[in-house]
Amino acid sequence: MARAIWSGAISFGLVTVPVKLYSAVSRKTVRFNQLDSKTTSRVKQKRVNAEGDEVPYEQIVKGYEVTKDSYVIVTDEELASLAPKASRMIDITDFVSEADIDPVFYDAAYYLVPDELARKSYALLCKAMEESGRVAIANFVMRTKQYLVAIRPTDGALMMSTMVYADELVPTEEIPGLEELADIEVTDAELAMAGQLIDSLTTEWDAERYHDTYREQVLDLLEAKAAGEVRAVEAPAAADDAAVIDLLAALEASVSAAKEARKADAPAEKAKSGSSKKAKKAAKPKAKSA
Amino acid sequence: MSVGERTLSLSNLDKVLYPEVGFTKSQVIDYYARIAPVMVPHVAGRCITLRRWPNGVDQQSFFEKRCPGHRPDWVPTAIGPGDGDQGIEYCRLEEPAALVWTANLAALELHGPMARCHDLDTPTMVVFDLDPGEPAGIAQCCRVALLLRELLSAVGLEAVPKTSGSKGLQVYVPLNSPHTHQHASRFALAAGQMVARDHPDEVLVEMTRSLRRGKVFIDWSQNSRHKTTIAPYSLRARPRPTVSTPLAWDEVADGADGADLAFEAEAVLERVEALGDLFEPALILRQELPNPSR
Repeated sequence: MARAIWSGAISFGLVTVPVKLYSAVSRKTVRFNQLDSKTTSRVKQKRVNAEGDEVPYEQIVKGYEVTKDSYVIVTDEELASLAPKASRMIDITDFVSEADIDPVFYDAAYYLVPDELARKSYALLCKAMEESGRVAIANFVMRTKQYLVAIRPTDGALMMSTMVYADELVPTEEIPGLEELADIEVTDAELAMAGQLIDSLTTEWDAERYHDTYREQVLDLLEAKAAGEVRAVEAPAAADDAAVIDLLAALEASVSAAKEARKADAPAEKAKSGSSKKAKKAAKPKAKSA
Repeated sequence: MSVGERTLSLSNLDKVLYPEVGFTKSQVIDYYARIAPVMVPHVAGRCITLRRWPNGVDQQSFFEKRCPGHRPDWVPTAIGPGDGDQGIEYCRLEEPAALVWTANLAALELHGPMARCHDLDTPTMVVFDLDPGEPAGIAQCCRVALLLRELLSAVGLEAVPKTSGSKGLQVYVPLNSPHTHQHASRFALAAGQMVARDHPDEVLVEMTRSLRRGKVFIDWSQNSRHKTTIAPYSLRARPRPTVSTPLAWDEVADGADGADLAFEAEAVLERVEALGDLFEPALILRQELPNPSR
C-alpha cells in the first residue's frame, strides 16, 4: 500500500478540509549499485577535502561561492530562521482556468485524500471545481520548502501538482537556435501537406500503449543473470542466422513429407482411427530405445 | 540423520518454509530423501546451481553457483561456466545424501545446465522452455507443447514434457549423442520459429516481455552453455510446494483441455511409485538433430 507523505488541510476561504498527500507517480527506473569489479564488494564514498584527507560529517559546513574561490559560510541555524513555517495548510489563493496553465509548469503529482470526517466537504469542493472547470492555485510548505501547487479534480479525486516558479523556466532566448526560427516562412501548400500528415497519424491518446521497453529489457537481462545465466547483450532477433534458416527449411520439408505420408496412409486407416502410424508411434509416453 | 553410509546433521527442522501451507523444512528434506532414487540420475554429473530460501518462500532468496566451502567432503565439485573467463566450482549431487544436504540448506530449487560437467560443450538434450504471458497459463503451454511435439515427430524425434512447477512447461529432446550447444540452440530456434509462424496468435520466440501478453514464449535460448533450467523433480518456491513434474503426453493433452497439472511433493512421490520415472528417456534415448547443410 502507498503511504501518506504529508498530512495537513486544504484551506479555502473559511473552510478547511483535512487531507493526506500521496505520491501519484512511482518511478520505475532500474537502480544499480557500484561494485569493485575485482572483489564485487560495494564501493563506498568518502568525503575528502582538496588535500585528500577525509572530512568528518560534523566538520562540514555550507559555503556559497560569491566569486571564484571566495565563499560566504552560512550555518544551519541561520537557514532555519528563514525557512518557511510549516503551517500544515494548503492555502488556496486563486482559481484559474486549466487551459491557461502551460504543462511545462507542472512538476510532481500527488493525490489529496480526505480524512474520514472531511469526505463531504472534499467531495463538494471536488464537484464544484469539476463543474466550473477551474483549477485551484495554492501555496504550501513541505519539509522546509515552499511550493506553488495546482489542484485539479480527476475522476472524483483531487490531484495536486507542484509547479515550477516562473523565474525557474529557461526563457527561449537563452536556448541557441530557437530565435532564428522567427524569420522562416512556409507556404500554404506546405502547411496543408504537413496538416494532412498529422491527420493521418492522429489517434486517441492512450497512455497504456507506451512502454519503457529499455527498462523491460534491462529487467529481463538482470533476471536472466540472477538466474545464473549470462546472456550476450545483443541477443536474439535471430532468424537471419543462415544455419537457422537452413534448419527451418529442413523442418518444413520434413513436415510436408510427413503430411503427404499421412494422406497416403489415410484411405487405408480411415475406417479405424484416422490417425497416422507416425502419430501413434510417437504417442507412447515412454520411449526406450537406448 | 543417516542416508546410506553418510551421516548428516540437520538444523531448524521445524522451520516453516512454505508459510501458506505450513510446509516445513523437515517435509522438504523428507521429499528430497524420498524422490532421490529417481532424481539423482538427472542431476548427477552436472554443475548444479542451488537457489536457497533460508527464511521461507516469501522471503529473500539467493542463487549459489559456487559450491559452499562448508560442504561435506563427500560432495564433489566440478568446474563449470563462470561469469567471465574463469570457471566456477559447482556442487555435484551424486547420491541421495547430497539431496538431503542441499535440502537442509533450504536449497528448494536445483537448477542444471544441458551438458554434463565432464564434457561442458556437449548438451545431452535440447530444451524448449514454454513460458506463458498472462493471461495465458499452463493450458496454452500444453497446446503449444503438442504443436512442438507434432513438429518434432515429423522429423523423427521423441520428446519428453515436464511442468516447470511454476507457470510453464518444458519440452526436452533427448540427444545423448555428440551435438554442440550452438546446434541445439539453432535447432530450438528454428523449431520455435516454425511453430510461431504457423500460430502467431499463440506463440512467440522473441524475448521482449511486453509482446508476451496472452501468448506462450518458446524460450530456445536456454540451450546455451551458460544457462540452467529447473531440474526434473525439483521443488519450486511457490506458495505451495509444487514440483517440476515429468508428464506423459496424454496428460499434456488433458492439460490443454484444462486439467490441473500442478503436482505437489506428496503427489509426485505417489506418481513415481505408480508410473516410475517418466523422464527416463532424457537419460538413455539417443537421437540426432537434423543438420544444417552449410
